[in-house]
Amino acid sequence: MASVALLAAAGEVGGDFFKERDVGSLCQAQTQHVFCFDWAKENIDRFGQPTVQHLQIVIPAILIGFVVAFALALISHRIRWLQPPLLAATGILYTIPSIAFFFLLLPVTGLGRDTAIIVLAAYTLQIIYRNTVLGLNNVPDSVKDAARGMGLTQRQILWKVELPLAIPEIIAGLRVAVVSTIAIATLAVLISAGGLGTQMYNANLTFPTSIIIAGAIVMLMALAFDAILLLVQRLTTPWRRATRA
Amino acid sequence: MSESQASSVRYDGATKRYRGSSEPAVDHLSLEVPAGEICVLVGPSGCGKTTAMRMVNRTVDIDEGDILIGESSVRERDAAQLRREIGYVIQQIGLFPHRTITQNIGAVPQLLGWDKDRIRARSAELLELIGLDPELGDRYPAQLSGGQQQRVGVARALAADPLVMLMDEPFGAIDPINRERLQNEFLRLQAEIRKTVLFVTHDIDEAIKMGDRIAVMREGGRVQQYATPAELLMAPANEFVEDFVGADRALKRLALMRVADINLWEAPLAHVGQATAEVRAKLDSPAVEVPFPLLVDSERRPLGWLSERDLAAENVPGRPDSPLGPVLELDDVMRDALADLLQHETQYAPVVDHERRIVGVLSVEIISEFLASPEAKTDEHSAAERPHG
Repeated sequence: MASVALLAAAGEVGGDFFKERDVGSLCQAQTQHVFCFDWAKENIDRFGQPTVQHLQIVIPAILIGFVVAFALALISHRIRWLQPPLLAATGILYTIPSIAFFFLLLPVTGLGRDTAIIVLAAYTLQIIYRNTVLGLNNVPDSVKDAARGMGLTQRQILWKVELPLAIPEIIAGLRVAVVSTIAIATLAVLISAGGLGTQMYNANLTFPTSIIIAGAIVMLMALAFDAILLLVQRLTTPWRRATRA
Repeated sequence: MSESQASSVRYDGATKRYRGSSEPAVDHLSLEVPAGEICVLVGPSGCGKTTAMRMVNRTVDIDEGDILIGESSVRERDAAQLRREIGYVIQQIGLFPHRTITQNIGAVPQLLGWDKDRIRARSAELLELIGLDPELGDRYPAQLSGGQQQRVGVARALAADPLVMLMDEPFGAIDPINRERLQNEFLRLQAEIRKTVLFVTHDIDEAIKMGDRIAVMREGGRVQQYATPAELLMAPANEFVEDFVGADRALKRLALMRVADINLWEAPLAHVGQATAEVRAKLDSPAVEVPFPLLVDSERRPLGWLSERDLAAENVPGRPDSPLGPVLELDDVMRDALADLLQHETQYAPVVDHERRIVGVLSVEIISEFLASPEAKTDEHSAAERPHG
């Protein structure tokens, strides 16, 4: 990691993330080994709490990000000229480096989970907003024209026609957002928000077992969320799989 | 469909101005469409026909004037409520891709709060009416062919038994063969349901085929002529209509008629074994215009034409000298009948009924006289007489 200097700098602010961690006697002789199974067996409990914390950051962040981005998308669907500025604004948020974003918010929201949630939610806005707008814009005009001509109100067209048809794009956006949020949440440790990052940054860099386990849990979590979203998409868009008989 | 209902539509100085355009798209249009008839709005692109049609369900706002459905003004209605009483079919069909065919057909009934069973029953009824397998009800639109989708589009528009149907180039995106089939199917359906239909097209042939009445429009929705197809073809009101209808309008008229619609000549009949003197006497009668006798069997079914040589004998021979040539039926479309005559290089053809019994003779002369006669101008063109598939 090239972030050692940054971590050191952060240490002055955050304080506690370089605390001594005990490698134990199990793999003392073999710290150069990539993975120490004995240690892993002995210490697997260490990962329970950070995993829960990770979820406690990731889930609210995604929910908040989704609600905000979705609301913005609906507003700008009605008020079209809002789309370019909103796209730009969420895009700018997305370009802020995550570490900078965390530390910039520290004076405002302080150390801890809230700051992490705010930053991660902000990152999801761009992709969820953009995909929701895209999905709504992709609904064929003929379908909207027919809906209107049959007597659906604007609201009914939105909820019964446009949004259901935008589901694939919306979920595609959510999937990208979820995976990146789960990954970036490992940085929450920098502002003392806990999570699986603790098991990476507190590690003795010459003993990667803990990092590997934490990394694997992060990846599994991302895959699990992705699978859930994929399942939701399949259940909500049966027409996408219908092929000519 | 016995409960089928329909209302007249009356444009009363209806006007639409689009912002940024100096001329109104539709300028004080006044037009009355009787209940149960198909009125085709036809004209070149940009003439305002689609705008005029869309004013009826207020998907285009009326700036001035009014449109009455039956006795009630569309301007006084809530737009969404109004539209649920008006069937709407568009060229791109616009089926909901995420709904099954049954759900698509049930869209308006659902808005009207029908219960599930009633919607299902209605969908099944309409699928049958438009000639689709009821099993298709559970499919999604993407699983149907273009023609099937357009039929579903029509069924969806009919679902809540609308007072009026708006059809905007409904068959415009369909290939020519299927278009013809869909047109015929719709006419057959219309003969049953008798809706008031406003039908927009830029294709004069389609207008002539589909319309009980045709409004030929030019820019600003200005109606150049509002008449039955026969009137339009026989007596175009001005040069614009004449140009639009085309140079072959006389021939187009024939597509509107069936052999049964015209006065046929009486055939001088001859039976096998009959004395030729009798037959010759028949030919001399002033009422008989066909110069050759037609040999028929005992059931009055035509067998062939008798020639001079046949008549030289004492009795009518069993085998006529001239072949029978084309035999026409009363239901044949006049245009096809003429084509038949020309193709066989013959002047006359016997016309038979469903039992193949002789009812008269059609000649090229009858057709050309008909096309030239002023009486043809008042020829009534009714839906029932139009060529169906």
